[in-house]
Amino acid sequence: MSVSNMLENWKNFRHMHPVDDAPHAEYKWAMSIDLDACTGCNACTVACYAENNLPVVGKDKFNAGQQMHWMRIERYWDEDKRDFPDQGAQFLPMMCQHCEAAPCETVCPAGATNHTADGLNSQVYNRCIGSRYCSANCPFKVRYFNWYDYPTTDNVWPAEMTEQLNPDVTVRGKGVMEKCTFCVQRLERAKNNARTEGRLVKDGEVQTACQQACPTNAISFGNLVEPESKVAKQWAHQQVELAREGQAKDEQEGGSKLRGYRIFEELRAYPSVMYLERVRESAI
Amino acid sequence: MEKDIREDIAWAKINGDVLKSLETPRPLYWVILLVALAMFGVGLGCEIYQYNIGMGVANLNNPHVWGLYIATFIFWIGMSHSGTLLSAILHLMHADWRKPIYRFAEAMTTFSLMTAGLFVMVHLGRLWQFYYAVPYPNERWTWPNFQSPLLWDAMAIFTYLSSSVIFLYVGMIPDLAIARDNIHSGWRKKLYTLLALGWEGTDRQWRNFRVTYLTVACFLIPLAVSVHSIVASDFAMSQQPGWHVTSFPPYFVAGALYSGCAAIITLFIILRYVFKFEEYMTMPILRKVVRLTFAIAMVWTYLNLIEYASVWYSHDEAAKAVLIQKATGPYAPFWWMMNFCGSVVPLLMMVKRFQTNIPMMFAVSLLLNLGMWLERWMIVSPTFSHGYYPWTWDHFQWPSLVQWGMVFGSFGWFTLLFMVFCKVFPSVSMYEVKEMVYHRSLALKNNELAEKGAH
Amino acid sequence: MIENGINRRDFLKVMGWGGAAVALAGCGNTSVQDGKEIVTSYASLDLPEYAIPGISVYFNSTCAQCDAGCNIAGRVREGRVLKLEGNPASPINRGKTCGLGQAGVQAHYNPDRVRQPLLRTGGKTEELAWDKAFALINEKVGGAKGNEVAFLTGGLSGHAKVLFTNYMDALGSKSHYVYEAVAPSVVRAANKKAYGVEMPRLHIDKARVVVSFGADFLGAWVSPVHFSQQYAQFRKGSNGQRGVLVQIESKMTLTGANADRWLAVRPGTEGIVALGVIHALGEAGMSLPADVAALSKAYDAERVSKDTGVSAEQIKKLATLLKERTPSLVIAGSAAEGYAHGSQNAAAIALLNRVLGNIGKTIDAPATVPFPQVAVETGKRSALEALSGSMAGGAVKVLFTYAANPVYSAPAALKFKENLGKVPFKVAFAHFMDETAQEADLVLPLDSAMEEWGTVVPEYMPETAQLNIRQPLMERLHTETRGVGDIMLALLKQSRPNDYKDFDDFYAYLRNAILKNKAALGGAGTDDDTFWMETLSKGIAPMGTAMGKLAATPAASGLSLPAPAEADSAYPLRLIPYVTPNLRDGRHANQPWLQESPDPLTTIVWDTWVEMHPSTAAKLGVVEGDIVEVSSRSGTVQAQAYIFPGIHPDAISMPLGNGHTSMGRWANGVGVNTFALLDQVVDKDTGELALNETQVKVSKTGKRVIVVKDEGFAGGSQAGKKIAVRTSTDKVELTGEV
Repeated sequence: MSVSNMLENWKNFRHMHPVDDAPHAEYKWAMSIDLDACTGCNACTVACYAENNLPVVGKDKFNAGQQMHWMRIERYWDEDKRDFPDQGAQFLPMMCQHCEAAPCETVCPAGATNHTADGLNSQVYNRCIGSRYCSANCPFKVRYFNWYDYPTTDNVWPAEMTEQLNPDVTVRGKGVMEKCTFCVQRLERAKNNARTEGRLVKDGEVQTACQQACPTNAISFGNLVEPESKVAKQWAHQQVELAREGQAKDEQEGGSKLRGYRIFEELRAYPSVMYLERVRESAI
Repeated sequence: MEKDIREDIAWAKINGDVLKSLETPRPLYWVILLVALAMFGVGLGCEIYQYNIGMGVANLNNPHVWGLYIATFIFWIGMSHSGTLLSAILHLMHADWRKPIYRFAEAMTTFSLMTAGLFVMVHLGRLWQFYYAVPYPNERWTWPNFQSPLLWDAMAIFTYLSSSVIFLYVGMIPDLAIARDNIHSGWRKKLYTLLALGWEGTDRQWRNFRVTYLTVACFLIPLAVSVHSIVASDFAMSQQPGWHVTSFPPYFVAGALYSGCAAIITLFIILRYVFKFEEYMTMPILRKVVRLTFAIAMVWTYLNLIEYASVWYSHDEAAKAVLIQKATGPYAPFWWMMNFCGSVVPLLMMVKRFQTNIPMMFAVSLLLNLGMWLERWMIVSPTFSHGYYPWTWDHFQWPSLVQWGMVFGSFGWFTLLFMVFCKVFPSVSMYEVKEMVYHRSLALKNNELAEKGAH
Repeated sequence: MIENGINRRDFLKVMGWGGAAVALAGCGNTSVQDGKEIVTSYASLDLPEYAIPGISVYFNSTCAQCDAGCNIAGRVREGRVLKLEGNPASPINRGKTCGLGQAGVQAHYNPDRVRQPLLRTGGKTEELAWDKAFALINEKVGGAKGNEVAFLTGGLSGHAKVLFTNYMDALGSKSHYVYEAVAPSVVRAANKKAYGVEMPRLHIDKARVVVSFGADFLGAWVSPVHFSQQYAQFRKGSNGQRGVLVQIESKMTLTGANADRWLAVRPGTEGIVALGVIHALGEAGMSLPADVAALSKAYDAERVSKDTGVSAEQIKKLATLLKERTPSLVIAGSAAEGYAHGSQNAAAIALLNRVLGNIGKTIDAPATVPFPQVAVETGKRSALEALSGSMAGGAVKVLFTYAANPVYSAPAALKFKENLGKVPFKVAFAHFMDETAQEADLVLPLDSAMEEWGTVVPEYMPETAQLNIRQPLMERLHTETRGVGDIMLALLKQSRPNDYKDFDDFYAYLRNAILKNKAALGGAGTDDDTFWMETLSKGIAPMGTAMGKLAATPAASGLSLPAPAEADSAYPLRLIPYVTPNLRDGRHANQPWLQESPDPLTTIVWDTWVEMHPSTAAKLGVVEGDIVEVSSRSGTVQAQAYIFPGIHPDAISMPLGNGHTSMGRWANGVGVNTFALLDQVVDKDTGELALNETQVKVSKTGKRVIVVKDEGFAGGSQAGKKIAVRTSTDKVELTGEV
C-alpha cells in the first residue's frame, strides 16, 4: 500500500464509462426489450428467481415492500379515463439498467458497486456495508436490499429447497444490496470458454436467464461492441447511441418512425437497456 | 443598558457556585439521569433487535431505503453547530456575553456529534463492516470510494468530532486547574490533576493557551460549515428530485445553527434552573441568544423559501411533484408543522417581553427543534415516497416502532452524556466569567474615572 | 448434452452420492466461520469422466407443470437439478419456458412432498411398506367387481396411460374418469363438430388478424408457450405487416391485455358478436354462404350492439379489417367454456372462420398419433359429475385418484367430498397431501417429474406427432417414492404376472416398448442401444408426419343463440373465475415462486381477490382492499376487492388456484377457493360445467385490508413520464427492424 499505488488505482478507477479516451474494448453487454413482443407473462421473473437464488419473502414482507424481484413486470393502464382499457395494458420488464454513468456507483462509500470493463454495473456483496445510498440514488429503484437474513428465515429455503440453489451465484445474507447482474455468472463462463479457445464470445452464445425463458423472444442480449451482434444491430437500426442523453433522431422535426428509446435518458445515466415501444394497430 | 452580568461577583463566589454544580447531585438530577438511561435503554434494545433480525424490522423498504435514522442523524449533526457558533465564532467576534454559556454549548456539540455518529451506525445494514467506509491501511489496497458524499461525511464528522473534543478540552484547562485546587480528595482530585496538565496560571501558560485556543477556534469554524455542507451534499450531490438542490449546503448550515441555538435556549433554561446559575445565565444573555436565534430563524426561512421557489419555478417536474406531494400528500401535516414551527413560531421571539419569558422561551425552543427535526424528516422521506419512478412510489410506508424507539433513545443518550458531563466538568467557564466580571468592573472604573475627569 | 455410451444406471448412482455430498457442501447458507459448513474436496470423489465438478450438464425431459408437454432441458450439476430451460429442438416450445415451467424444480424440491406410503384409518396415519401397500390394494380390488373399481385421473398419455388401461382391463373395469378442472372441454367438443378434430392446429403466426373470443392463449390456454412463440412471429409479421389481435371477452385475460383492441362484451353474448361480424362482413360486400347468410341476417350491427355492449362502429371496423387482411384466425375460448350455450357460441365463432376462409390456411388438421394407445386422453369436467353420481349411488368400491384434486376443485353443488366418503377404499397417488389425498385411505407417494421415467404425448402438437420423453434428472430425493409407471407395473404384476415378468421396472418396460417400435419412431436401421441413447438425448421421438385435412366444415344448421340473459335480481352479478397464468387449476399453489410472482394484470401476490369494474365498485360503495362477501347459490367466500378496469360491469372475476386447506406450507390458508362458489350449470350440448354461469351477489363486510401487490401507490399510472411507451402502427416504420 502506497500513495503512488493509490493514485495509480484511482486514475483507473471509474474510468470504464464510454468516454472517448477509453471506449469498451472487447465487450459491452447491453440489452434490448421489445415491448410489442412482451406479453407480461412473468416467465422472465420466475426464471430470474431460479437462476439467481432470489428469496421468496412471503406475503407480509411483500406487503412491506421488501420483495426481492430483481426483475419486475410493471403493468400500466391508459390514463384517459375511458370506460375500458380497450387497447389493453402496457407491460414493462424493469431491472437494473446497467447505466454507463450509474448514479449508484459514485455514491457508494465503500466502492461496493462498480463499473466493470464489460460495461456491467457490478455489485460486490462482500464489500457492501448496507448504507443503501446506491438505492437512494437509483432513478429506477431496481436495487433490492436484504432487509432480513433470508437464508436463515423460515420457509425461504427449507430442507431440500437449498439443493436447488445455483452454485454459481452467491446466496446473500442480511444487510447487503443486490440487483440484476445481467447473469454475470453466465457471462463469465462464456468469456472463460471463449478465452480458452482464443476467441471472443460469439453472439447468441450466452443468454441471460430472462432472455432464455422469454416465450416471445422479447429480450435480446449481447455485445454492443461487436457490430454484427443482434443487439448492436438493433441499437444501430433504432439509432440509439449509448453515451447520449437525447438521441439525434428525436431532434428531427416530426420525430422519427423508430421505436427504440431508453427510460430517463435525460438523467444522463446512459442506461444499457433499450426498450422498443409497444405498437397498437391504428386501423381498429 | 442591562448588565449581562453583575460586576461585583467575587471570584471566590464564582468558583464556589460553579464547583457546587459538581457536588453531590440533587434528587432531581438522579431522576433525569435515570429517565435518560431508560430512554437510552429503549433505543439500545431496538438496535439489538434490529442487529439480530435485520434492517427490515425498521420497516424500511424499496424505495424507502432511508428513514428516520438519516433524518435524525442530520438533526443531531445540526445540533452540534451551536457550540461552535457560540465558542468559536462569537469568540473571534469578541462577543463577551457568550462566556457563561459557551461551555455547555460546546459540550452539546461534542455529544450531539456522538449521538449523530450512532445513527450512521444503526443505519448500516452491515454495521459490523462499517470500517469499509474508512480509509484504513490494508494489504489488499482497497480504498473506500472517495467520490461518495457519505465517505466525506464519515471523514468530516470524525474530524469535527475530534476537533470539538480538543476545543472543549483546551478551553477547559484553566477551569480544571481551579477544580483541582478546590477539591481535595477522591477520584475527582486525581482526574482534575491529570487533566489540568499542570496548569499553574503562569503568564507563559496563559499566552500559549490563548494562542492555542484561538488557533483551534479558527480551525473549527470552516470545519463546522463544511460538515453540514457535506451532510447537505449527501442529498444535493444525488440525482433525486427534492434533493438535487444547489442551495442545500447553506440551507443545511442555517438549519443547523438554528436548531443548535434553539437547543441552547432549552439547555440554558434547564441548567439555570437545575444548577441555580441565575447569576451567570442572566436574562440579558438569554435575550441575546433569543435575538440571535431569531435572526438565524429568519435566514433559515429565507433559504427555505428559496428552495421552494427554485423548485417551483424550475422545469424539474419530478422535484416539483415532490414538493406538491409534501404539501398535500400523507406527509402534509408534518410538512406544514415544520413550516409553522420553523418560520412562524420564532416570530414570538420578536416580542421584547417574550424574550425573557422563561416558560415561553422554553416552549418555543422545543417547538423550534421539533420543527427542525421535522425538516430533516421532510427532506429524507418524501423524496423516497415520490421519486422519479412512479411504479415504486410508496406513500404509506410508516417507520416502525424500532425506528421511533431509536430516535427516542437518542435523546436519552444525549441527555445521559450531558448530565454526566455537567457533574464531572464545570458547565460554566469560571475563568471566562471572571474575565467578564473583570472586564465589566474595569469598564465601570474607566467610566467612573472619566466621569471624575469631567468634573 | 451427453451423447452416447453412458451407462445411465451408473450415472444415477453417481448422482446419488454426489447429491448427498453437495447438499452438505454447497449452498452458502452457512459459513466456514460458524463451523457449520463442510467442505468436500472434489478430488476425493470418484467422479465418472463425464461428470466434471463445476460443469453443468443438460438433460432433456418433459415439463410436467401443465398439459402442454413442453420439452425441457434440466441443468444438472453435481447430481442436482438446478434449473429448467426449454429444449431448443422442441417444436412446441422452441427452447422457451413459462414461469410455471421454471417453477417445476419447486415441485421437485418441495419440502412438503409425501415421502412414504401412508395408510389412514380412522384419523390415524401410519407409514406402510410398499409391498404391504400393494398387497392391500390387491386385496381390496379383489373384493370388488369390474366397474366397482374406478379410476379418476387427469389427462393421461404415453406409456403410463397404457399401463393404466391395461390394469383396468385386468380388473375388468371400464370406470375411467378423466378429469381436468379448467380444460377447454367445450371447445374440444365444438371443434370436433365444426372441424372434425378436437384440437386443430392454429397458425397464429400466419394470420394477419387474430380474433379471440376469450381464449387466453398467451396465458393459460392449451399450449401458452407455443402460442406465445407464434404470437411473437405474428406481431413481427412479414414486411413490416404486423399482425392485429382483437380480443373479445368479459374479463381481460393476459391475452386481452396484449390485444390491439380489447372489446368488453356482455357475458355470454360472444356468439352474437360473431354473427354480428358475419353480418357486417356481408354488408361490406363479402359473399356469404346461403345458410350462413340466412342465420346472420337478423344480427345487424345495431341489434348486436344493443345485445352485447360492443359498439356498432367497432363491429363494422372489425369486419372491415377482417375483410381487408387475410388470412385471419378466430379462436373460441371462454366464450365456449363459460356458458350454458357455450357450444352454440363456439359454433357461431367457428362459422366466422369458415366465412373468412381461414380453414386450411390458419386452422389445420393436427398430426395423427400412429399409436392411439399412447395418445392423450383429455379430461372433462363432466367426468366429475358422473363419478360423483356413481359414488353417491354406492357403485364405487375402490377408487384410484391420480393427477387430479377433485376434492379441491369440484363445484360445491356436486357434494363431491361427501360422496367420496361413501367409497370404502380410496387410493391416492400423490406428490403432496392435497385435499384429495387427505380423504384417501391409502396414499402412495409419487416420484417428482425430475425423478421418474415416462412418456408424454401432448394434446397440441404443432408439427409432427411427437413422443416426449421424461427421464430422471437426478436421483430420488426420498427413497420411498415411486414413479407412477412403476406403481402401475407393480399392480399389473399382481394381476397378470406372466405378461410383465420380463420387466424389472418401468424403465425396462419403457425401453422395450420404445425399441419395439423404433422404426416408427425414426430409428430404423440403428441398433437398439444407439437409438435408445439418442432418443433420451433428444428427449423427443417423432411419431410420423401424417397430417390430413380437416374433415368437416362448420355448419350453420342447428345453431341458435339465446337472447342475452337478464340479470338475476337476487344474484345480480356474474362470476367469472379466472384461470391465472401462475396458478391455473391450483395444483401449483405450493410453489412459492408462483405465489410470489405477481398476477400479470393485477400484480397481486399470495392471495385471492375480487375484480370489479370501477362503476360496479362505485355502485356497491366498494374501494380497493374492502373485504367483500361473494355469495352464489352454492357457496359464500370473503375476499379483498380490487378495482379493475378490464372487466364488464355486469361481472366480477376471481382467480382460481388458491384457498387450499391441505397442500403444504406455501399453499395452506392462502386466499380462498373460488371453485367452491361455482354453480353446477352445464353446457347444454356437452354437459360440461359452464364456468361463467355462476350468479353472485357482493356485499361489503366492513373490513378492509391492504391489497398486497407489486403495483405501487401510483397504480397503473406513469405520471406523465416516458416509461412504457406505446405508439401506433401509423406512426412507426417496422420494416427493416432487426
